Amino acid sequence: MCGIAGRILNAPGNVGRDLVALMAAQEHRGADSTGFAVYGTPMDQGYVLRGMGFDKARMDADLELFRATLKEHGADFLNDPTTVKDASKHYCFRMEISDPRDLAAWVSDADELSGRIEIQSCGRSLEIVKDIGGAEQVSEKHKVHDMIGTHGLGHARLATESSVLPNASHPFWARPFSDVAIVHNGQITDYYTQRDHLQRAGYRFLTENDSELIAVWVSDQMKQGLSMEQALRKSITSIDGVFTFMIATPDGIGYAKDRFAMKPLVVIEQAGELAAATEEQAVRTVFANECDVINHDGPSLFGIWGVGNRSMAA
Amino acid sequence: MSEIVIEVGKRHIREINEELQEACKTGKPIRVVDTLSRHNLGVGLPDGADITFEGSVGYYCGGLNTGSHLKIERNSGWATGEGMAKGHIEVGGRAGMSCGAAMIGGTIHVKGDAGPRCGVAMKGGNIVVEGTIGYQSGFMAHAGKIIALGGAGESCADALWEGEVWVAGPVQSLGVDVNVVEPTAEEVAEVDAILEPLGLVDTSRDWRKMVSGQRLWYFEARDASAWLMI
Repeated sequence: MCGIAGRILNAPGNVGRDLVALMAAQEHRGADSTGFAVYGTPMDQGYVLRGMGFDKARMDADLELFRATLKEHGADFLNDPTTVKDASKHYCFRMEISDPRDLAAWVSDADELSGRIEIQSCGRSLEIVKDIGGAEQVSEKHKVHDMIGTHGLGHARLATESSVLPNASHPFWARPFSDVAIVHNGQITDYYTQRDHLQRAGYRFLTENDSELIAVWVSDQMKQGLSMEQALRKSITSIDGVFTFMIATPDGIGYAKDRFAMKPLVVIEQAGELAAATEEQAVRTVFANECDVINHDGPSLFGIWGVGNRSMAA
Repeated sequence: MSEIVIEVGKRHIREINEELQEACKTGKPIRVVDTLSRHNLGVGLPDGADITFEGSVGYYCGGLNTGSHLKIERNSGWATGEGMAKGHIEVGGRAGMSCGAAMIGGTIHVKGDAGPRCGVAMKGGNIVVEGTIGYQSGFMAHAGKIIALGGAGESCADALWEGEVWVAGPVQSLGVDVNVVEPTAEEVAEVDAILEPLGLVDTSRDWRKMVSGQRLWYFEARDASAWLMI
């Protein structure tokens, strides 16, 4: 089933807190795992990385190996990584790095370590935090409610197509495109065909999750020259399945819905700010008054909500 | 007669519905407040209750209704009145997807628009929508009437059985196996009799009545490609 959410503020603010509220209200749609993508104040240079390691006993050694790949690409840690550990087998990290000579080439090399250590977001402003458990549980562990930013995404996962693993949680980063994240509610039925096509074009997938594919698919279309709006429109006829997804960049959040209108999307816009979610009761946690909601429940819908001076693209 | 007020807020829905059932036994009107678009409010209500939901409700409100009169002042979520057998549900705003799904009797009156698949698989009763009905409304409706005064979205009345879809406005596109027929004066009078208690009769309406083409009733898998519209 899954629940998704998006939130846009007029100015940097408590977007993490709002996303936690949006996802806590949709926890019944999937409590296997919860994740958040937050767009904070952009770095002028360098990238912020969020990721996960899978063997706590080797954490220091694996982070050094990871650092070595960076150095081979002319970059380094800008500060010591911070880590979050609990009784789980995995640990999570946050670090800031200087600019590699070629980001995609470095990500490709760094992904050789993905069995031990996995990058889950890379961007000037994007940070993805995801883990097993409900919204409050994940927020408490990773301090999501303290994350400041202009906009972001949330996801509550009911695992259907792939395992309940922390790294199979949403949101997904559009590897290796910096600052692009996606959340998705639905199933992509031509996943392996599409994945094969993208792999032949050189993209790497670290999970069996179909949502990871959409992030890369849309980004690849944009790399080939389509605008976000054109890529979203094309996704409706090019990707098989039932889906509603939201894809975020530093400029805003786009959404697309399949031809069968199976997955809901409810939006409240008020005073230039916006909350979008699978369920109306979620957006009402952010806009508590009885304001009007917009139901995007028809087939083949797409659009973009910009950050700042926002405009609807479709 | 004084009314009973029940507050929803963040309380457990089972607790609220149990309180509603007890309140129904008093015969007094009931007002449900602070609804917060919560799901499953007022499911399985008995005959004869009079309940107003102040604000918007979530999924399945009024489902399995067996004769109560429900008024939802604002919007309702998915599957409003699903499986209801008797009674009346009024939605002051917009109804979400699958309004009246599989209902077998009673009336649902939506003052705004209704979302996709309105009346999906309904087996009786009437759904009156003052606005438009969404994509694929009437899908596999076995009986009953869906009456849309404003218009209909894409794939209207797709794979209809013995239900009827009446539209007095533009229809974006028809679904598969649908015939649009000219209603007789007697049939229009039947529809007006449904609209009359709602104060919605307008003799100038130009009705489009949609019924099954009956070609899918004996579906053969080998003919599947002929029916694919995607």
